[in-house]
Amino acid sequence: MSEPATPPRSLAEALRARDDASLAVLLRSRPDLVTPVPTDLTQLATRAGTRASVVRALERLDRFALQTAEALAVAADPATYAELLGLMAGADGDPVVAGALPQALGTLRDQALVWGGDDRLRLVRTARELLAPSPQHPSPTGLGPTVREAAAGMSPGRIQEIVTAAGLPSTHDAVSALDALTALFTDRRRMAALLDEAPVDSLEVLSRLVWGPPYGQVTADPAPRLRWLMDRGLLLPTAPGTVVLPREAALHLRGGRAHRATEPLPPSVEPAATHSAQVVDATAAGQAYTALATVEELLKDWHEGGPPVLRAGGLSVRDLKRTAVALDVPEPVAAFWVELAYAAGLVASDGEADERYAATPAYDEWLERPAAERWTALARAWLAATRTAGVVGGRDAKDRTLSALGPGLDRSAAPEVRHRVLALLAALPEGSAPAADSVLARLRWERPLRGPQRDDDLRGRLARWTLDEAERLGVTGRGALSSHGRALLGAPSAPPAGTADVTAGPSATGPIAEGPAGAPHGAPAGEPTGPGDKLPVHHEHPRPVERLDPLPPAEQAAAAAAAARLLAPLLPEPLDHVLLQADLTAVAPGPLRRPLADTLGVLADVESKGGATVYRFTPGSVRRALDAGRSASDLHAFLAQHSRTPVPQPLAYLIDDVARRHGQLRVGAASAYVRCDDDALLNEILADKRAAGLRLRRLAPTVLAAQSDPATLLEGLRAMGFAPAAESAEGDVLITRADAHRTPPRTAPEPVPDGPPAPDATLLTAAIRAIRAGDLASTAPRRPSGAAPAASGGELPRTTSAETLATMQAAVLTGEALWIGYVNAEGAASQRVIAPVRVEGGFVTAYDHTADEVRTYPLHRITGVAELADDQI
Amino acid sequence: MNGPLIVQSDKTLLLEVDHEQADACRRAIAAFAELERAPEHIHTYRVTPLGLWNARAAGHDAEQVVDALVTYSRYPVPHALLVDIAETMDRYGRLTLSKHPTHGLVLTTTDRPVLEEVLRSKRVAPLVGNRIDADTVAVHPSERGQIKQTLLKLGWPAEDLAGYVDGEAHPIELAEDGWALRPYQRQAVENFWHGGSGVVVLPCGAGKTLVGAGSMAQAKSTTLILVTNTVSARQWKHELVKRTSLTEEEIGEYSGTRKEIRPVTIATYQVLTTRRKGVYPHLELFDSRDWGLIVYDEVHLLPAPVFKFTADLQARRRLGLTATLVREDGRESDVFSLIGPKRFDAPWKEIEAQGYIAPADCVEVRVNLTESERLAYATAEQEEKYRFCATTDTKRKVTEALVRRFAGQQILVIGQYIDQLDELGEHLDAPVIKGETSNAQREKLFEAFRQGEINVLVVSKVANFSIDLPEATVAIQVSGTFGSRQEEAQRLGRVLRPKSDGHQAHFYSVVARDTIDQDFAAHRQRFLAEQGYAYRIVDADEILAEGAEGA
Repeated sequence: MSEPATPPRSLAEALRARDDASLAVLLRSRPDLVTPVPTDLTQLATRAGTRASVVRALERLDRFALQTAEALAVAADPATYAELLGLMAGADGDPVVAGALPQALGTLRDQALVWGGDDRLRLVRTARELLAPSPQHPSPTGLGPTVREAAAGMSPGRIQEIVTAAGLPSTHDAVSALDALTALFTDRRRMAALLDEAPVDSLEVLSRLVWGPPYGQVTADPAPRLRWLMDRGLLLPTAPGTVVLPREAALHLRGGRAHRATEPLPPSVEPAATHSAQVVDATAAGQAYTALATVEELLKDWHEGGPPVLRAGGLSVRDLKRTAVALDVPEPVAAFWVELAYAAGLVASDGEADERYAATPAYDEWLERPAAERWTALARAWLAATRTAGVVGGRDAKDRTLSALGPGLDRSAAPEVRHRVLALLAALPEGSAPAADSVLARLRWERPLRGPQRDDDLRGRLARWTLDEAERLGVTGRGALSSHGRALLGAPSAPPAGTADVTAGPSATGPIAEGPAGAPHGAPAGEPTGPGDKLPVHHEHPRPVERLDPLPPAEQAAAAAAAARLLAPLLPEPLDHVLLQADLTAVAPGPLRRPLADTLGVLADVESKGGATVYRFTPGSVRRALDAGRSASDLHAFLAQHSRTPVPQPLAYLIDDVARRHGQLRVGAASAYVRCDDDALLNEILADKRAAGLRLRRLAPTVLAAQSDPATLLEGLRAMGFAPAAESAEGDVLITRADAHRTPPRTAPEPVPDGPPAPDATLLTAAIRAIRAGDLASTAPRRPSGAAPAASGGELPRTTSAETLATMQAAVLTGEALWIGYVNAEGAASQRVIAPVRVEGGFVTAYDHTADEVRTYPLHRITGVAELADDQI
Repeated sequence: MNGPLIVQSDKTLLLEVDHEQADACRRAIAAFAELERAPEHIHTYRVTPLGLWNARAAGHDAEQVVDALVTYSRYPVPHALLVDIAETMDRYGRLTLSKHPTHGLVLTTTDRPVLEEVLRSKRVAPLVGNRIDADTVAVHPSERGQIKQTLLKLGWPAEDLAGYVDGEAHPIELAEDGWALRPYQRQAVENFWHGGSGVVVLPCGAGKTLVGAGSMAQAKSTTLILVTNTVSARQWKHELVKRTSLTEEEIGEYSGTRKEIRPVTIATYQVLTTRRKGVYPHLELFDSRDWGLIVYDEVHLLPAPVFKFTADLQARRRLGLTATLVREDGRESDVFSLIGPKRFDAPWKEIEAQGYIAPADCVEVRVNLTESERLAYATAEQEEKYRFCATTDTKRKVTEALVRRFAGQQILVIGQYIDQLDELGEHLDAPVIKGETSNAQREKLFEAFRQGEINVLVVSKVANFSIDLPEATVAIQVSGTFGSRQEEAQRLGRVLRPKSDGHQAHFYSVVARDTIDQDFAAHRQRFLAEQGYAYRIVDADEILAEGAEGA
């Protein structure tokens, strides 16, 4: 790696020295830095150093890069590459770690978390604060404070005692004494000699503390084995009753390693089972078909107005249960289908006074499309959705139940995890189904949790849901990615079984390499090429190119079309016939063409679903068809046309028998009457006790009038076993066919991404040009401003709030002290000299030289800020 | 992917019978799936945990089941279903019942948590004795049936390896002079004997008695035969004397009138379930001899108390015989756990195709109620409605017309209501057999009917079961026990026995239109329709018009 002529003195300078391509890498990996576009590189550096941005960047590091950053946080500032390598690879120099380290360091540099050359590696200050050990936040390394930090509050006398006990000559001041002690602890030979003298008990104490946590409790009168250690500074007191193992001593005992276990290589994704590609594709296609059928069934169930929307939004638990029963699936699965339909924009609330869920107009369009396209529409919606059905039934932070279609289901990480899981599947040989645990282990390595590792973290759960949902949706079959699923992701065709090296090879391919499976996104064509006058910093560094990135929208459509092409031949061809049987069933030995399925759905009840559909004809179902305006002869013709076998006599008889009675009774809506040519029938009705509730009265030998409304009347008569037909004012039979219930046009819910999207090449080029221009303007030599505040004038400094903020942020970076005017809550004005430590969220945390302690000031109470003359501190 | 089988999401399997691979597929899936419906084109099988466990008991493993489904399925089989099948089958055999040299009957496990789980169940706790070691617990021998039944309900079926007692030996041979067991009967006997205990399902008229006799000839030991009533007991005795080496003296009848205990004893369910002062005095019959085989005739009618006694007889071989395993009380699984799994089942139509049962023409005749009858029907009390519509006068006229049409053939008129039957008997000039008819009188009438001296016989539901009327070719059903499906099957069975001249049998149901009689009829017929016996429906007017012309 080449070095700039003069080493950079700040992150801003380091950034300034980077070429455009390398800045583009930074902005792509940390898109939050570019919204809004910073005015110059100083501002970019300031923003890159804010706590929120650094936390975000750290959370996106893979485990080894994070471990490297953690090691840097416990190393000296600045540290050399050799020191870092020692911390990572240990005294015995693990070759795998040594091989992977340049890549990890490159990642940290790319992301502007580390700057400076190999001789002066500096972790940005905020990252250091986040990662360095402190009593409140124990470091993941398990290391304690340095000797100097731990001994900061000790009396000089005590320090001299320790130095003497450790066998060092006493010095004239505490600082040099601590230096000597540090030098002893870091000298392997002398330290070994010192420990050789230690009692066995004491070594045992050290071995308990060495891998952390480094803190231990002691009583007021410590045991001799502790006393021996405390006397020699191997344990230093931090608070009454607490001692700590200083960092240098711990590192010696650890053989120089900052981490108990470094993980330079990603865990490989192990195939648990291998099926033939045909089996995988066929199973997935079968499942894809089931997915389409299920969504259609769901919306058919909600056809005439779905369940009401809860006041807080979403579907009630009871309605979800009912839906689950209707779909014959467990409730969590029902929640998945409901959410899928919602994400795909097929269902929404209708927005009326008594709000209900209903199919959207988009659903009707969707229905008209070929099956394979319908599937890709669902699958794309699923891939991009941030709403997660998996959390339905859980509770939010306020302990409210999360309901399906309700608020609070968005999980920003979901699309990323989904994509990542499927990308891992795509990297496996064709037909290989991975063990879920190995996928989880890999994801955990790529995006480790800071802090204690838990098995039920959100990403882990998202990954498990992804595996389940992908199977349910038919993206995978028997756990392996199907060829249409692969096409949907835009992944290259699978490596032939056996040749893929799933484990990333040694260092060369980098920690997130998937294997030698081609590099479709390698050497991105859109990489902005800068003016070329900047020194290439690490331009040719091996990038993690094999990472399968989510496709841009334009390519998504093409990928979806490719997936649909692959899927279409695997889906069963819709049939135009059924088999009619004498037990009054019809069996459709496969999916039916839509008009046939719709008509049959009215004429008969569905008894069993799956690859085939079994329909049962009942008097009720035949009556329903007659109610829908069909005549008996229509129905006979329909059955004869679509049956591959002769229509059984009992079925023909059933239709005629129902038709014979159908419409025999006519019920009017306007005057609520019953009329019938057969007055005996009316006698029968009047005589029936069950008719009492209808309050019928005979008007004429063939007409009855009712006090109840026509609907109740119809129900009542049907309950009594009659088959009345409703009649219009003109005396025609009313055709009661249920209309489909639709929402007004709705758009599908927008995914809620976690942070801004990665900028594309054009934006990046423009942004970099703008930053450079701004930077030039701000760093151009200019006359010192005449309006410098009068530092000693006794009046408060006055600056604009933008200036105040910029000056504060600059001071944080340089560590300089500032002079501020401050108005407290009571309105009293004062002047203070502060050294800002952190500026965030409208507050500045600073060491207040005036009060001699760390305080936090709201920025809006600061009237102005001025730099101090060099001699004032 | 063009197999004959379609796997449905509710775990039913649809088999397209006209497919070229249908037979191979049927053989492959019969081991684990129950045939539920067998209409003309598509047969429906159901995969149940019980069926899967029976398959395990018969030595099939999950691999074979999955393989059968995948091989013959037309569409991809959902992965979840395959996983579910493997998991269900894996539950069988975690627990085994076996004989321990010192502790008697013991329950052992290969999976300790399962044993812990079942022992914690309140229903299992009273059935087991001491814990012998971590994996073994003693079971009282008399609770062998009870614990098997309970474990099945808990979803952890136990494999019963404790074996059977041989019982007291008694020589029994089939006397195959001029006749032989039919192939399917031989197969049924073989399957039963191989399995140890179980149920054989054969259509009425397909010779279930001979399966019983064949099994007795295999067992060659003292046998207890449980039948539904005395007439049936006499017929068993008659058949056994005729078809085996047994003599009259070796066969005893244990019924309300006679209490004989012989090497082969035929007892009625009724006498066993007679209760006096809260005890069943005739239960000692089970212990009165060291029975080697117990035969349950018409096992679908097994009364609840007999279930309980049967639970105590798990060490003896048990054979259940029935035409339908449909129980209106839904206790099919008790039959399976206490008597044994289904060992043999043949679709009716298949046996008909082999010529062993007569082809039947099933017709439903719809009669219209007259206006006054409709009015009366509408005003009738709910509980009287069925009786009212089932006994309408129009039915009598239709029945008379039908009897006239088949004049000269052997006709049975079957009904539920005595008044109706008496009236019919009067109009048709035919004798009526009902509950109060003495056994002697019944047998006399049956014999006369058999000999052709009487052409028409009116019978109540007492003749539903086990009467043997070889030459009945027409049955007319005027009313029935509401919607009982198995009664319908039994009645059809009356005419299914092969006719000497090979002509077709006729089965008429006379049903009142637009009443609950029609709803019940639909329910009753569904079972037969599912067995492939499709009903034609005709209007009463057609029959009456034809009758008028003939007259």
